[in-house]
Amino acid sequence: MGSLQSLWKRDFIEKAAVKPLYLEVRRGEIIGLLGPNGAGKTTLMKMFTGIVVPTAGQLRVLGFEPAKRDLYFRQKIALVMGQKSQLWWDIPAMDSLQLLMRYYEIPKNLFLERVHYLASLLEVEPQLQVHIRKLSLGERMKLELMACLLHDPQIIFLDEPTIGLDLIAQRKIREFLLNYHRERGVTVILTSHYMADVTALCQRIVLVMNGEKHFDGPIRAFEGLMGQEKYVKFFFSQAQNEQHPLLIPWHPSFGNQGLEVELRVPEDKLKDVCAAILQNLPVTDFQTEKMPVERVMQELLSRTGA
Amino acid sequence: MNSRFPMWLQTVYVAWSNLLAYRVNFFLLVIGPALVFFFVKFSLWSSIYEQQGNRELAGLSREAMLGYQAMVLIVSLLAQGHNSTRLAEDIRLGRITAYLIYPFSLFEFHASSFIALQSVQIITSSVVFLMAISLGLFTAINLVFVVKGLVLCFFVSLLWFLIQYCLGLLAFWLEQTWVMRVLFQIIAQFLSGSILPLEFFPQGLRDALMFSPFPYLTWVPAKTMLTGEGSIIYAVGILCFWIMVASLLARLIWNRGLRMYTGAGM
Repeated sequence: MGSLQSLWKRDFIEKAAVKPLYLEVRRGEIIGLLGPNGAGKTTLMKMFTGIVVPTAGQLRVLGFEPAKRDLYFRQKIALVMGQKSQLWWDIPAMDSLQLLMRYYEIPKNLFLERVHYLASLLEVEPQLQVHIRKLSLGERMKLELMACLLHDPQIIFLDEPTIGLDLIAQRKIREFLLNYHRERGVTVILTSHYMADVTALCQRIVLVMNGEKHFDGPIRAFEGLMGQEKYVKFFFSQAQNEQHPLLIPWHPSFGNQGLEVELRVPEDKLKDVCAAILQNLPVTDFQTEKMPVERVMQELLSRTGA
Repeated sequence: MNSRFPMWLQTVYVAWSNLLAYRVNFFLLVIGPALVFFFVKFSLWSSIYEQQGNRELAGLSREAMLGYQAMVLIVSLLAQGHNSTRLAEDIRLGRITAYLIYPFSLFEFHASSFIALQSVQIITSSVVFLMAISLGLFTAINLVFVVKGLVLCFFVSLLWFLIQYCLGLLAFWLEQTWVMRVLFQIIAQFLSGSILPLEFFPQGLRDALMFSPFPYLTWVPAKTMLTGEGSIIYAVGILCFWIMVASLLARLIWNRGLRMYTGAGM
């Protein structure tokens, strides 16, 4: 019935994907745009690159207005989309790269030099002659990265560049990006759901929720947003009472039928708390970690209900 | 413009590679229209004339009708091969994003792909033309008329490309454009004389149609190649007018449509 009704009348809801937001990125910075699904990160990326036209506000990237899609602007930026291939599916990777060589007017010698340099760094030399559709996701992503760096862009926009990749491929791509940034001093704007990407690559984090900026600062300050706390995990030889007075003040989270517990302890009390637990409970092992970015995110999201 | 020539050339090369990537698909694309002609149009019109005791229909003999239908096939190969299915799909699925980033526009990309397809179609239509001559479908061929017709086909192909481009760009607003494209295809085939020569239409309708671009898509170039009838300068003038209208329309739709683009799937 609803389908029939929708033939005549449809209700539309207008929603601002991004609300007024001030952001300034310095040359050579690597910043991470963080936020839950639908927060507005990718919309921001699309506006930065001129794919989507903002309905209000002012935006300048390298002195250009991206929505005008000036030819010189397009020659200076690159975009990698983890979820969308930009290479031509039915032809060998090298043919795609040669097409980009023409588009970006890269001299042939320089092109061959860069192909060799990037292919050896990314370890994809044998894949250059293979049709894109026949490559694995990891190989394809490396070639996508390579394609976007051929013209030596001044800003690289990376939208979830490691999505769907296995841990080894993720690590290799992170290492490559870090090395590339170190060598070229290029500006990088990254969105990713993998906190490992963010912690490994980004010096600065911008947290976006419901289209609004909730945090903008160094990654260390972001980690400290929840106070100077650490997570400590204890493993016991016997199951522990969930109301144990040594554990209860530190927000315990029990697992494995009481054989494991995770505590959130302020850094200044960490030594005393650990000593008391080690002395009084049958601990077989324990580990500590700083408040990881992922947990800060989770906590902030649950606080704001985003 | 010179510096953009290598970009166009390389895109044409990639479009060829794409066309040739799937061999069966390519051969069907090349020989499909010829097969349809021989199995459908040739048999159909032969039967119709047989039923009518080989009398002339709308002033056309059986030979003239078969020659006309063969020429319609050649005109369609030369000028109407391009369609906008890919463009509409790319917009709907957010695949044009790359061409908003590259310093080579989406229009340039589609125009290059169109050139690639047309260059293949020139070879195909030449083969069909020679086959039609060997089968005696063209009673008399005048080289001047053929050249005039080819000039018209060049302009028709530009107009056809721009019409298809406009139809594809409607995907900025409409989720599905294929019904509209099929409808346009059917209407265009009927009103351009691709199914029935315009001699079959009432004079009033024919006169009215001459104010539209349709007769110039098929009937005029086919007739020019066969009989040299009509002024080529007048026909080119009319086609240029419609090309101008279609290009302005394409520009307008693109500028408006891009504001609707959300880059879906990214």
